[in-house]
Amino acid sequence: MAIARMEKAVKNYKVGKVEVPALRGVTISIDEGEFTSIAGPSGSGKTTMLNLFGCLDKPSSGKVFISDEDVSTLSSDQLADVRNHHLGFIFQTFNLIPVFTAFENVEFPLIILKKGNPAERKERVMKVLDQVGIKDLANRRPNEMSGGQQQRVAIARALVKGPKIVLADEPTANLDSTTGEDILKLMKEMNDKTSATFIFSTHDPMVMDYAKRLIKVHDGQVQSDEKK
Amino acid sequence: MLIKLAFRNIFRHFTRTFLTFLAIALGLALLIIMDSMLTGIDQESFDKIINYETGHIKIFDRGYREDEENLPLDRSIEKPGSIIKELQKDQNVAGVTARINFRIMLSDGVDQFPAVGIAIDPKDDQTVFLMKQSIDKGAFFDGDEEAMLLGEGLAEDFGVDVGDYLTILTRTKYDTYQALDLRIKGILRTEDPKIDWSAAVIPLGLGQESLDMGTGVTEIDIKLKDPAKTKEFRDTLAKEITGVEVATWKDLAEDVIAIAQAKRGGSAFLLFSVFLIALIGISNTILLAAFERVREIGMMAAMGMRRRQIIRLFVFEGAMIGMMGSIAGCLLGILINIPFVKYGLNWGFMMRDVGDFGYRITGASRGVWNPTMIIVAFVFGIVISALTSIYPARVASRMEPTEALRKT
Repeated sequence: MAIARMEKAVKNYKVGKVEVPALRGVTISIDEGEFTSIAGPSGSGKTTMLNLFGCLDKPSSGKVFISDEDVSTLSSDQLADVRNHHLGFIFQTFNLIPVFTAFENVEFPLIILKKGNPAERKERVMKVLDQVGIKDLANRRPNEMSGGQQQRVAIARALVKGPKIVLADEPTANLDSTTGEDILKLMKEMNDKTSATFIFSTHDPMVMDYAKRLIKVHDGQVQSDEKK
Repeated sequence: MLIKLAFRNIFRHFTRTFLTFLAIALGLALLIIMDSMLTGIDQESFDKIINYETGHIKIFDRGYREDEENLPLDRSIEKPGSIIKELQKDQNVAGVTARINFRIMLSDGVDQFPAVGIAIDPKDDQTVFLMKQSIDKGAFFDGDEEAMLLGEGLAEDFGVDVGDYLTILTRTKYDTYQALDLRIKGILRTEDPKIDWSAAVIPLGLGQESLDMGTGVTEIDIKLKDPAKTKEFRDTLAKEITGVEVATWKDLAEDVIAIAQAKRGGSAFLLFSVFLIALIGISNTILLAAFERVREIGMMAAMGMRRRQIIRLFVFEGAMIGMMGSIAGCLLGILINIPFVKYGLNWGFMMRDVGDFGYRITGASRGVWNPTMIIVAFVFGIVISALTSIYPARVASRMEPTEALRKT
């Protein structure tokens, strides 16, 4: 069953007075529970695809569906609600809140979502921190953790509210290869343990190897779509 | 959580936050102290006017006030006795007395200074005014005697003391010259410049005789038991007594009231300046914070925070800086105000040189506690800080998540 799909999605960006096409009529469907990598060189349109699936942007034309809901016509507040309820994000540069501890960073999405009382939230956050292997670092702030540890916090933050889809934009790009591989293993493990669908962009061959499905994009179009 | 985040965020750049906080704190402290001192000066001036110049209410002969500056003797109340007797019976009245104010030149045979002569009833004057209590040297009148009380400023100018003689040169009611050689029986120190720097006081009997006033006086002064009823009592007297003018001390102290009103304008300007400092400081701090945290804002938006939640976060930060600044400002203001209220500030060093400019103080004036102003300053500090944070917060919230996340 498709959890996310695009129908003839076109996205153009304005650079000064010139319109630059980023996506040229992409139609693609992602099934529930998939571990999918969108790969391609810089400027190929992979981040744009991720942004459209992540409801961070709207297509210039065409449609984007999340759980069969057409999100391409929603207002910014409605899109925020979709992101809030259904999506989790992992960023290349982690983007943790520096004044919060690991625990507080992971708790933050639950607060925005107004989910659970403090005791329930604590239990949930500690469980996820345990799952990503950094339970002992709960009280550390980001500047007291390594890049790999910070990305684990980011993964925990993305998973804590039980999202349908987790979107990761080049999640290993800022990590050394060993740590990057650990993070990929963790994401894979989380994909197996939870029902969350993972979609991540990359141009790293090692990351592509881990994907169960590899969608290659080039010049704003899907070049190949390979399931392993 | 948002409050916790806002609180921690404001300490990310301690120096910047501290400077903004300091601007608010110092502004509010200054506001509280200025208000305390100016209100104190107002209050003291009003007290001096009531206690030495006007009482609560004055009765003049009709038409006197048109020529008040020249202290005309021909506009006198010819038979004040009956009015005074009636007033003494009134339950609202604490004291009544009569006076003659007249223009004089004071001379020691070498120098001459213009001054104001005040003829007072030695017995009744104390029921309205505090002249007797203000004798600094010598003694008050025992009765109608040939002596004068002199303001300490004039005594200093002439270099005279108790027991010395000065000559009062004046004109009688019928405009004939009159000269009185009088012994100085006492030196007055009222701290009202109208008395201390320019008054020679003589007994009423001596004044009436030497000025050809008969039983006449230029004014009847009334002190009320309840000052709050002053206006109401004035209106009653104006209806009951014919051929006279009745004025409250406020009617007569227009100069001081005008200054007090101008002062309120000054306070408003000060308030505006504090507004401006807070506005620039807070706005700048929050705007910088917003630009520094663009990626963080993008991340929050990606997690599903709505625009108004992001605005709220930055407004919280501004309000918190404002709250801390307001607490510190109010505490600092209160702390600095304690010695001003207890010991006052001595204006004597400048008052004699620049003139009294209407205020009735010659020396120290004390500050007063004005809880309303402290509360207003506190609330204002927080509200203005929150309000000025709205613009930078809106700027921050308007960033598209994708754009914000791309920023480095």
